[in-house]
Amino acid sequence: MVLKLYAAPQSTASLRVAQVLHENNVPFEFIPIDLRAKEQKQAQHTEKNPFGQVPYIDDDGFVLYESRAIGRYIALKYAGQGTAGLIPDQSDIKALALFEQAASSEFANFEVHAAKIAYEKLFKVRLGFPTNEEVVKGAIDQLNVKLDVYEGILAKQGYLAGRELTLADLYHIPFGTRLYRAGLGDLIDSRPNVAKWFNALLARPSWVAIKDGITSTA
Amino acid sequence: MVLTLVGSPISTCTKRVVAVFLEKQVPFKFVPIDFTKGEHKAPAFMEKQPFGQVPYLDDDGYIIYESRAICRYIAEKYADQGTPLFPTDLKAKGLFEQAASIEQSNFDVYASKAAYEAVFKPNLGLVTDKSVVDSLIKQLEQKLDVYEQILSKQKYLAGDELTLADLFHLPYGALLPAVGSNAIQERPNVARWFNSLTERPSWKAVKDGIVVTA
Repeated sequence: MVLKLYAAPQSTASLRVAQVLHENNVPFEFIPIDLRAKEQKQAQHTEKNPFGQVPYIDDDGFVLYESRAIGRYIALKYAGQGTAGLIPDQSDIKALALFEQAASSEFANFEVHAAKIAYEKLFKVRLGFPTNEEVVKGAIDQLNVKLDVYEGILAKQGYLAGRELTLADLYHIPFGTRLYRAGLGDLIDSRPNVAKWFNALLARPSWVAIKDGITSTA
Repeated sequence: MVLTLVGSPISTCTKRVVAVFLEKQVPFKFVPIDFTKGEHKAPAFMEKQPFGQVPYLDDDGYIIYESRAICRYIAEKYADQGTPLFPTDLKAKGLFEQAASIEQSNFDVYASKAAYEAVFKPNLGLVTDKSVVDSLIKQLEQKLDVYEQILSKQKYLAGDELTLADLFHLPYGALLPAVGSNAIQERPNVARWFNSLTERPSWKAVKDGIVVTA
């Protein structure tokens, strides 16, 4: 049975999963969830994702939510097809731990701050609520510090976990693109190594296929 | 050469790692860092941990930082000893990753910020913003209501077996009373689950500060 992705076409977490499906050449059926109608809070949805969030997958009856977990599950299950090494093999535990270091950093050092900016400057505005500029400034200040560290790391290696692309790099794309939409693309563009790394990620066919919205491939 | 953990005896993230060392029965050398002297921002430190944070692990010259990554490395490297903390089956791994992601995005996001605002800021001579704390706790409580549902059907967050994802909750979960929140104890299944974690010898050994085993 083809994998089903229950998601919103432009939700950051949904895009995160769709990209991994493309990278590993996994056909999937996209079932759109209407966030404006709060479909994700209805019983039919919360029965599968009790946090009332998108996305979740149904892989022939196996249900999983949390986009980063879904991405990992796909990368492990389909390790033999599409882009290799999105998670380093378990036989190399040092490479695996360096991947985990980068993956942890993605959430704690990047998403935490980038998500605040996206929420304040994009999401709230779309719903007609005022932006809290103090929160935005605080998040920008933090991101400046963290991205300076990224600039140093990426001066010595092509990707965050080492020489090879991993999920840890890809996971930055959804909120990274939202920084540009919020008029703060300079956070990335002003740092040559970060800009080079990020632009290479955006150029990947897996991102190009979904950046304007997710669609079924099966 | 014995594993060396560079961290702070009272740091939440350092305790997260040491609890796992103890679960896996792995001897280690502990090198304490003094925050008050800014040792974590010194050039020699930042050469190993470029974000200037604690802890980091030195395994005979191989350096790993980010507490959850260090925990995963230890659980992987010493899979055959101590408490099993990682599933091996693909679907069980998926459910483990789901639980680990829940901890980061639905628990830590609120609990760690609330702890910073209510507990760490006063220690640093800064003023707590109570409205921030209240807002964070309110959001955390909504998430814990979901935990209550999940834990009514299974013993641990990833299923019926203990995994790292449960243990990751310990440092900030244990601080919630100091933040002024009883949210965990107010929810029977969450309380049952969390108390089973704090009862573990590995947590009891670190909750008041870190002692070396090697």
